[in-house]
Amino acid sequence: MRPPLQPNRDTDNTLLAVENVSLRFGGVKALTGVSFDIRKGEIRAIIGPNGAGKTSMLNCINGFYHPTDGRIIFKGEMRRKMRPHVAARGGIARTFQNVALFKSMSTLDNIMVGRSLKMKAGFFWQLLRYGPAIEEEVAHRKVVEDIIDFLQIPHIRRTPVGRLPYGLQKRVELGRALAMEPDLLLLDEPMAGMNLEEKEDMARFIIEVNQQFGTTVALIEHDMSVVMDLSDRVVVLEYGRKIADGTPEQVKSDARVIDAYLGVAH
Amino acid sequence: MLYREAGQFKTTYFSDMAVFRLREDRTGLAVVVVAAYGLAFVGTDFLLQAVLIPFLVFSLAAIGLNILTGYAGQLSLGTGAFMGVGAYSCYKLMTAFPDVNVIIWILVSGLFSAAVGALFGLPSLRIKGFYLAVATLAAQFFLQWCFIRVPWLVNYNVSGALDAPLRTVFSIPVVGATATSQARYIVVLTLVIALTWLASNLVRGRIGRMWIAVRDMDLAAELIGIRPLQTKLLAFAVSSYYCGVAGALMVFLWYGGAEYDVFNINQSFFILFMVIIGGLGSLIGSFFGAALIFIMPILLGIILPALLVPFGLSIGAETIEHLRFMIVGALIIFFLIVEPHGLARLWQIGKQKLLVWPFPY
Ligand SMILES: Nc1ncnc2c1ncn2[C@@H]1O[C@H](COP(=O)(O)OP(=O)(O)OP(=O)(O)O)[C@@H](O)[C@H]1O
Ligand SMILES: [Mg+2]
Repeated sequence: MRPPLQPNRDTDNTLLAVENVSLRFGGVKALTGVSFDIRKGEIRAIIGPNGAGKTSMLNCINGFYHPTDGRIIFKGEMRRKMRPHVAARGGIARTFQNVALFKSMSTLDNIMVGRSLKMKAGFFWQLLRYGPAIEEEVAHRKVVEDIIDFLQIPHIRRTPVGRLPYGLQKRVELGRALAMEPDLLLLDEPMAGMNLEEKEDMARFIIEVNQQFGTTVALIEHDMSVVMDLSDRVVVLEYGRKIADGTPEQVKSDARVIDAYLGVAH
Repeated sequence: MLYREAGQFKTTYFSDMAVFRLREDRTGLAVVVVAAYGLAFVGTDFLLQAVLIPFLVFSLAAIGLNILTGYAGQLSLGTGAFMGVGAYSCYKLMTAFPDVNVIIWILVSGLFSAAVGALFGLPSLRIKGFYLAVATLAAQFFLQWCFIRVPWLVNYNVSGALDAPLRTVFSIPVVGATATSQARYIVVLTLVIALTWLASNLVRGRIGRMWIAVRDMDLAAELIGIRPLQTKLLAFAVSSYYCGVAGALMVFLWYGGAEYDVFNINQSFFILFMVIIGGLGSLIGSFFGAALIFIMPILLGIILPALLVPFGLSIGAETIEHLRFMIVGALIIFFLIVEPHGLARLWQIGKQKLLVWPFPY
């Protein structure tokens, strides 16, 4: 028996509410009746064993997949069949488990393209590259340079990202997401495949983004120590179902989590 | 003077974003432009009319296709037809309103092919790659059918062909039998320079980045808020605009009249070869590609017989023709093997090497 939807949700503080979401691919049930919320300004972790449906959850949130059942409410508004570019316009940015950068572009251009939505100069100014077009180009370039400095990657500014090592690509991808100045930042395993030092850097960036800009972050991560350090609250998925939800301490001592996730994975 | 980056520090983002970040590059470009205009006064009729004008026309068409295929990643085989739309609309416009400056009509005719191009670009939302190429092939055949079957397009003239009525600019004939190749060349050159400059502005800014993003990974592009359909349709429209203007120039300033079959599928492939050889996603590559595919055979036609003279050999014009095809074919394969990313990449590598010369890096 699943508990009924809580009607007394604190709507003021909730940025995103996932209600009873199910997702099926033919016979595969990627998600089954998952509900949780993300509060403004928090770092929310989603954990679970491989194939638990974590990535699928993010894909539902930013409109890449459409839930077969249930609803997702973002900023108090529900959109059925929201397209990813609409989600982006609404303020949702994300990074991918296997980096999805524009390979032939430089770091600079990859992050710059993240500013596309903020750039307004019309087609004819663009043709002339004059007036508003060039002013805007310079203004956004400054923002992008700030992001590059913040992520400590000025040396790879002009390198085509296809040539960068994996750890740096992940950083550039974070930069591109930050360039969108999102309200909700979805990070799919931002530290996967990194060494300890890179992980620490990445963790620091995430905390700084969260604290300095108040960006709400939802992240998927396998490394439990990282999850415990970073997150305010944790959702645990297993086989597409939510098995626990709470502060890291609560989750860590939950019998089902220990059993299903920590016990198996470690 | 050496080709060096040293000492040319960029103190503002504005100057760092210039097309040619190095002084040497800017000087080089200025020299090329001045020389190109200079050729109008020293070049022979043959050079201007049979070599340079067509080279410029093909370069413009190649830029058009490069915007679509090279920058936005949408494969098209409809280039010939889109050029045709430009040529036929230009004909209708300049015969319907003979008093308006013909250059205005050439530029306006591109808008018609832009609209047609965007229309035939609609399938690109759903299909990609070879399948899209097949869809654009439909455009090629449908439009070509229109050119043949709709006599209204050629004002019901009996030959069914486009002719070039006399048109002047500042009372100098530029279109029609009395136009000198010098006048035609200057008009074509000026338009090609202006349109290339505009294209380079476009591809370096927000729109160009959005096109490349869609090309490199359309899903990720959508996830950062880029609307895939609008972005692709804009690429189709801008690309077809360039092809349309190239088509109008081809008929009225180069051929001086044409039949529907110059806009056939061969023309589409011809331009596609130029784009691939020159370098996908490079404007300068479009010029290189046009030069290799169009000028190289002409050069060979002149050089080959001359080379054989000392050996007392003389070969028939036909054999030379065959040899030309074989050599150009071999060159294309050679360049593709040496550098699959086209001549533009070779050029880039060459410049990089020159920057640090005489050291290897
Ligand atoms: N597009 C798809 N088509 C079919 N099945 C899919 C698709 N996407 C995900 N799945 C299935 O849904 C389930 C959940 O996958 P998901 O990628 O969400 O897991 P995950 O928790 O992110 O796992 P991991 O830790 O390995 O990244 C898996 O069984 C997967 O095979
Ligand atoms: Mg995953």
